[in-house]
Amino acid sequence: MADRRRVNGPVGATFAPVFAKEEQAKVAKVPERSRPNDIIRKIYLQTGVTPSASGSAYLELSSGAVPSTSGLKLSCTVHGPRALPRSAPFSPHLILSTHVKYAPFATKERRGYLRDTSERDLAVHLETSLRGAILGDRWPKSGVDIVVSVIEADQDRSAPSVDPDEELWGLMSVLSGCITVASAALADAGIDCVDTVAGGVAAVVETTEGVEAETRDTKETVLVVDPVPAEHGRIVAACCVAYLPNRDEVTNLWLKGDLPGSAGDELHLKMLDKALHAARQADQVIVAALKDSAEDSG
Amino acid sequence: MAQQKGQLARPIFAKIAPHEFLVANLARDGQNNQSQQGTRPNGRATDESRDFDVHTGSLSQAHGSAAVRLGRTRVICGVRGEILPVANIPQFRPSAVTADRSADHAVEADNRRQLRDYDLLVPNLELATGSAPEFLPGGPPSVLAQVLSTRLYALLHSSGLVDAEALKIWHTPRRAADGADGDMDIDEEEPADAEGDGSPRTPEIKAYWTLYIDLLFLSFDGNPLDAAWAAIVAALRDTHLPHARWDADRDRVVCSPPSVTPAPPLTLRGLPVASTAVVCVENRKRQQRQSSEVAGAHWILHDPDRLEEGQCHETVTAVVDCSNGTGKATVVRALSKSGGVLVGPAELHMLVASAETRWTSLSKALGQGP
Repeated sequence: MADRRRVNGPVGATFAPVFAKEEQAKVAKVPERSRPNDIIRKIYLQTGVTPSASGSAYLELSSGAVPSTSGLKLSCTVHGPRALPRSAPFSPHLILSTHVKYAPFATKERRGYLRDTSERDLAVHLETSLRGAILGDRWPKSGVDIVVSVIEADQDRSAPSVDPDEELWGLMSVLSGCITVASAALADAGIDCVDTVAGGVAAVVETTEGVEAETRDTKETVLVVDPVPAEHGRIVAACCVAYLPNRDEVTNLWLKGDLPGSAGDELHLKMLDKALHAARQADQVIVAALKDSAEDSG
Repeated sequence: MAQQKGQLARPIFAKIAPHEFLVANLARDGQNNQSQQGTRPNGRATDESRDFDVHTGSLSQAHGSAAVRLGRTRVICGVRGEILPVANIPQFRPSAVTADRSADHAVEADNRRQLRDYDLLVPNLELATGSAPEFLPGGPPSVLAQVLSTRLYALLHSSGLVDAEALKIWHTPRRAADGADGDMDIDEEEPADAEGDGSPRTPEIKAYWTLYIDLLFLSFDGNPLDAAWAAIVAALRDTHLPHARWDADRDRVVCSPPSVTPAPPLTLRGLPVASTAVVCVENRKRQQRQSSEVAGAHWILHDPDRLEEGQCHETVTAVVDCSNGTGKATVVRALSKSGGVLVGPAELHMLVASAETRWTSLSKALGQGP
């Protein structure tokens, strides 16, 4: 357990701060979502933040209606194309290596420095999303490294306890942001792609009005884009897409959650349409950022 | 061809022969001005440092955070406080000097012992974020990351920046006969009075705050120690730990939300600032003979960037603090030198003077912060 390459903490275990329950009730009630259901949060995107990398980008997603929710902050660097080591087998196209890592201070509970399964899962999804857009045939026997650092994740720090569902659905927003920022970094690196890739999330959520209903059957569900788990009572299902807007193609599709059986198929398609709508809004930010970067360098 | 034959463009020269490129820039202006002051390839004078750009409080999940930019080097530091119960410390020793408040030096030494023995300060540094082409993830921390973490750890303890008193969580037990819960946080100490009926007992330490200081390099362009140390100082100044008290009923430490009880800022002492310089020698191969004459001309470059760091072996760092209230006395907190024999006392004095200028610029940048 002791890592001899890092400064280790105390021998005994340390605990995250636990807040008293009687004082927790004094905290104000969590406000609801104030955005329309089909509008994503404001995105700030900047390229060229790491001069020594081939390409780099920085993305910020503003926080939602809950004031103590942090927004999403991602930094991405692209290194390559570079020659593969001699021992690697021959490859007629570009080999993509993606890495996603949370900073230790990015989430409500402190993370360590070793990658866990959710980060590796995100990296595989990211690689699948980007591989469909890169013209890999132009760089045989080459590799490219795409490193995404999550500086701040999308979590509510004033929630009473760590909600496993919140982290699960927050992973969708993180993946959507990773796809968007990696696509901008690839364009900044000058790697040929058929299109930009934009990530979008949509979810089926239960409205808080349903809590007052007496029976479960009367709970209403609504489709929203770019869900923030703290803003909704419960997220039933979520969908994350990686979308090529000009070619109208999807390179990655990630579905989670359960939907009622009778209306499930139709609701799946509606959720997918909403996610594509969110991706189109994100793509406008990518195009604007790349235009600004091109004008600055010109 | 537009260019003359034999003349290389600057990027190609820097790529093919970086050391000769660096020496050519330094020596050319030196001959024109008839002085040792040359111009570096990045356009700075030899004793000119890059300015700090500090932003604090940008991370809402951490208890304290700072983003520091030093030229094209960018680093983010987040401080997270976690609670270490005394029961989890295997070699816990109560403070023998607690009863005697008059001996300040003994209290100070005991506080430093607690910080070091209980590992209450945990700095770690991560370079493998693609901040430079040589720092890619997939492996254990590099030698540079380990060296920097160790140096930051030593600096935190030797400078005495964090006061251990601010990290203690006290509890004053009451007698069961009183019928009152002893869950109030009392920081003051009272003499032990076993005979008194209603008086409280001696307060005891129930837990400590452990500060996890994590640094993330987003862009690496040389001089990582100065940028990392400035980020640590700025993040610790931004740190607000929630109000903690011992709950005797639940036998654990509970905290108040910041909206109920405002979180006080962390108590820090002083403002140490690090300043680093490297020595560039004209004939690099002859430097191994350990002679300053054969090495030819040499220049001391303050605040080196990535190109200069790669071509110079000798490095010297000074950590100074000018924030003493009594006048403007400069306290040198740390001096470290490695890699060569060319830096002498005169050069060290110049470096300390440059560090004082650096201290002024960083204190201004921190003062403007939110």
